[in-house]
Amino acid sequence: MSQFQKEIVQAVLIADNNAWNFKPLSDEASTALLPLVNVSMLDYALIALNRSGVEEVFVYASLYLQDIRQHIKEGIATFASWSFKMTVHVIGGEGCRCFGDAMRDLDAKALIRGNFILLGADTVTNADLRPVLEQHKRTAKFDKGAAATLVFKESTSSTARTGNELLIAMDRQSTRLHYHQRLRMNHKEARYQIPLDVFLGNSSVTLHHNLLDPQIAIGSPSMLSLFSDNFDFQTRDDFVRGLLINEELLDSRIYVSLLPPAQYAHKVNNWLSYQLVSRDIISRWAYPLVPDMGVYKLQQQYVFYKDNIYKSHDANVSKVALQENVVIQAGSQVDAGTTISSSVVGANCRIGKNCQLNNVFLMANVTIHDNCQLRHCVIGPDAVINEKCVITAGCVLGAKCVLPANTKLSNTLVTSSQDTQRTEENEKIELDSIGPKAYIVSDVTTGDPDDSDGEEDLLPKATTLCIPKMSEIQAQANDASDYSYSSDDDDEDESRVATPLPDDTNIFLSEVIDSLTRGFREKSNPDFLILEINSSRYAYNMSLKEVNFNVVKAVFGMESILEPANNNVLVAINAAFKQLGPVVSNYIKSEDAMFDCLKALEDICEENELVREKISQVVHYLYDKDFISEDAIHAWYKQLDPKEQAPLRQSLAKLVDWLNQSSEEDDDDDDDDDDE
Amino acid sequence: MREQPLKEVTQLIHAIKIGLVEGSYSITNKTLDIFKYIIMSKSWQSADALMQIVRAQSRIMQAALPQETVTSNIARRILKLTREEFDLLQAKVQHFADDSQASLSLHKLVTQTSENSVSVDYSLPQQGLREALLDHLQEVETELETSSENISVQAEEHIHSSEIILTLGHSRSVENFLKRAIKKRQFLTIIVAECAPACRGHNLAATLANEKNVEIIVIPDAAIFAMMSRVNKVIIGTHSVLANGGLRAACGAYTVALAAKHYSVPVIVLAPMYKLSPLHLCEQDAFNMVGCAEDVIAYDSLPARDAKVYSPKFDYVPPELVTLFISNTYVYIFILLLTSKQILTFLMFNSGGHAPSYVYRLLTELYHPEDLEL
Repeated sequence: MSQFQKEIVQAVLIADNNAWNFKPLSDEASTALLPLVNVSMLDYALIALNRSGVEEVFVYASLYLQDIRQHIKEGIATFASWSFKMTVHVIGGEGCRCFGDAMRDLDAKALIRGNFILLGADTVTNADLRPVLEQHKRTAKFDKGAAATLVFKESTSSTARTGNELLIAMDRQSTRLHYHQRLRMNHKEARYQIPLDVFLGNSSVTLHHNLLDPQIAIGSPSMLSLFSDNFDFQTRDDFVRGLLINEELLDSRIYVSLLPPAQYAHKVNNWLSYQLVSRDIISRWAYPLVPDMGVYKLQQQYVFYKDNIYKSHDANVSKVALQENVVIQAGSQVDAGTTISSSVVGANCRIGKNCQLNNVFLMANVTIHDNCQLRHCVIGPDAVINEKCVITAGCVLGAKCVLPANTKLSNTLVTSSQDTQRTEENEKIELDSIGPKAYIVSDVTTGDPDDSDGEEDLLPKATTLCIPKMSEIQAQANDASDYSYSSDDDDEDESRVATPLPDDTNIFLSEVIDSLTRGFREKSNPDFLILEINSSRYAYNMSLKEVNFNVVKAVFGMESILEPANNNVLVAINAAFKQLGPVVSNYIKSEDAMFDCLKALEDICEENELVREKISQVVHYLYDKDFISEDAIHAWYKQLDPKEQAPLRQSLAKLVDWLNQSSEEDDDDDDDDDDE
Repeated sequence: MREQPLKEVTQLIHAIKIGLVEGSYSITNKTLDIFKYIIMSKSWQSADALMQIVRAQSRIMQAALPQETVTSNIARRILKLTREEFDLLQAKVQHFADDSQASLSLHKLVTQTSENSVSVDYSLPQQGLREALLDHLQEVETELETSSENISVQAEEHIHSSEIILTLGHSRSVENFLKRAIKKRQFLTIIVAECAPACRGHNLAATLANEKNVEIIVIPDAAIFAMMSRVNKVIIGTHSVLANGGLRAACGAYTVALAAKHYSVPVIVLAPMYKLSPLHLCEQDAFNMVGCAEDVIAYDSLPARDAKVYSPKFDYVPPELVTLFISNTYVYIFILLLTSKQILTFLMFNSGGHAPSYVYRLLTELYHPEDLEL
């Protein structure tokens, strides 16, 4: 232990983590040098390390090694606050393409002498990592196989997902990690699957489903050799997964440490989190990493005014123009009539008259001419936007772009020239041009993006991936209010929450689902299916009403509808009903049965988001195919609670209106709306 | 590139920024060390050059840490010292040069320096200036070291037995002052407002509780007004004293001062001399410092999404709410006695308090008017 204390604290920073997500700016410069509230992300990470008492840092860079070296040199020359009591080495190169390569390289060079802090260059945190490092050392003393301690931050689900959210299972006493799963970005999981071994093998397990991964870890020296031994480990997630699967084989274990609530930590891995973290920095959650503390430069650069306005002394702007949450750098000029809110303006920007900027991130030397409207977008350095442009919803303009006047853009990535794009194997992609120096970049890829998050394993291969972009961030008030945090409960409680006790109705439902799925797959005779369902019905003593209800539920509970190809639920429903229609119509005969059927639909809507979105079409489809009658729909619609089921009522209102009309007009025009 | 910061300066700035050095006393001390180092270094030949260096370095510190006014205050003290020593040495030289009789009357000396002060040429090299400055700096250091002690000596003049004293947060001067009072007086009751969100008042209460024969009560800041009616005296520390006698004090001080005004309770402010700043309240100069939003409201809470959260560090307390300043007042009234070939410097003690309206007077004596703008 004593020799540990003599050792200097080392850290490894991995730059260029998720280049793909920052298109098109990532094609022009290193993402680690991307300015976040006018300070490059690398600096935030370095400051975080410096504040944690780190004395030696290795920065790993691959593509833009020289740029990063240059940046570090400049930082030292201008007395950046991380340059005190800390030496920074930049290593890497073309050969070092991923996280795993960097680790293997470190192992080969034998630069790391003890436990080290491992950080992504895109991490923004004000946490003091010293206690975590101490904790890791203590664990390592007891468990020689402790390979790493991962640091997570608790968060509520009220914010938009940025791809950093995790579900983990850990041992509360020993803080050992048992299970690790990255949550999907786009929609929330209805259920989680956790291997039974996790619960069987351990006497006490805590589940955390509300964690953020800020990409901070403490590594043991053995972590590096593990990377060397297993050359298929590409990312940190690979490492975690590999170790959890082969725990005994590799004789290594991973531990978890949660940051205290007062400490801020977030990873900037895409434009959405860029926006979130910018907002947090401006509203001082990441204190002391706030603009007016002079985090990077020696001198204070801004004066703080109320409404979170940070204005440089040398910025030429009237106070009226700055509404709230604005950072404006030196040398920038804003003309009369312009309003700016929730935005960051880089150095030497020019903004013309009568512009409106909201949630806009301008880098250095941007020129915006008169009467432009910008919302939720990022404008790269030296870009020029001419008169009367409207740029909204997640647009990103690369460096030196020139947008012609009157351009309207939304949700587009723009680059200044065709050949800045990094394409694989000389595959020339023709880019759409919107001006002499503005080309639209497609952000939709079907292959694996070269990000290191390992998200591709969670998403089906066929789905197309888009870069998560900026948008209005809305707090999901309802979600948060009925959200209950249960990690403090003992595991008995948790298992009950996870798997409700199977009662007869549920068993019956699952049996019907099984029968229907099999019947659907094997295209068996509907009569046999009816026979099977009836026998199940008697076995579990179900009333007719329950049977009606559950059969409809079962149809929608089939896998093909729960997870339809291309998210096109209507096609899936159509296919299911073609095959299973006779079964359903066997049960849904009377008006009462139809009412039960609709009741079941209501239930399904709550569980299945895809159906909820298309509910009116689904009901319309069932009506068309004569499964349900008009009267049943009316009766059902009437009993829907106007308050609780307002969205459902809303989406159905049109259909009911139409039914009313068509019944008056002696319905002839059924086919018109039949467009599934 | 004359404004390049010295290595020591950047290191001090960094240490203050990350909180390794906190409290005005240690900041002042460290700053003084830097200036001492500058004076000792061989990089300057004339008083003018030295003053340039001191000005440049203190400007850098001011730009980096606009809220820490003590650094500038110390710089002003050094500048004033330099001027004085230079004048003195000049006078001495002149005196020996033009008047070999060595009988310079006090009147003549005083009139001579004040006449020349407008057009003194500081760029002339001056023998013995460095030594004289270092000597004098020793005095400043001693003054700094004993400042807290000198303030607390006055405790028994202000606090009497079985009084109820209210204080806010944790100030080093207040702690020593109260400790002294506890030793000298009996049956004191000390009410400590905790000063959220940092709640440094808890520390003060804990340290005072070690003393015998005293009752300590910790109250939340919200209870200040309610408690004030029973309080005999309010004793607080401050971050700095402004030129008009107003305070830049810990957040909550304004509440205390207003409540005290309402109940006509005297407010006594302990302010060592190095906290006197020739500054005025001005919104443009980032008077306040805003802390972490997390201190006020949890990041995860729902309202935090839309709310603008401020956690200010300081309050401005206008001079009319302050009754008395107690400082380590040697107001330097130099009485220069020139006996044959020897200069004696006497310090006049002007012990006791000052009214806020007197602050301007102290300032003119502490700093040279030309140094107010660095």
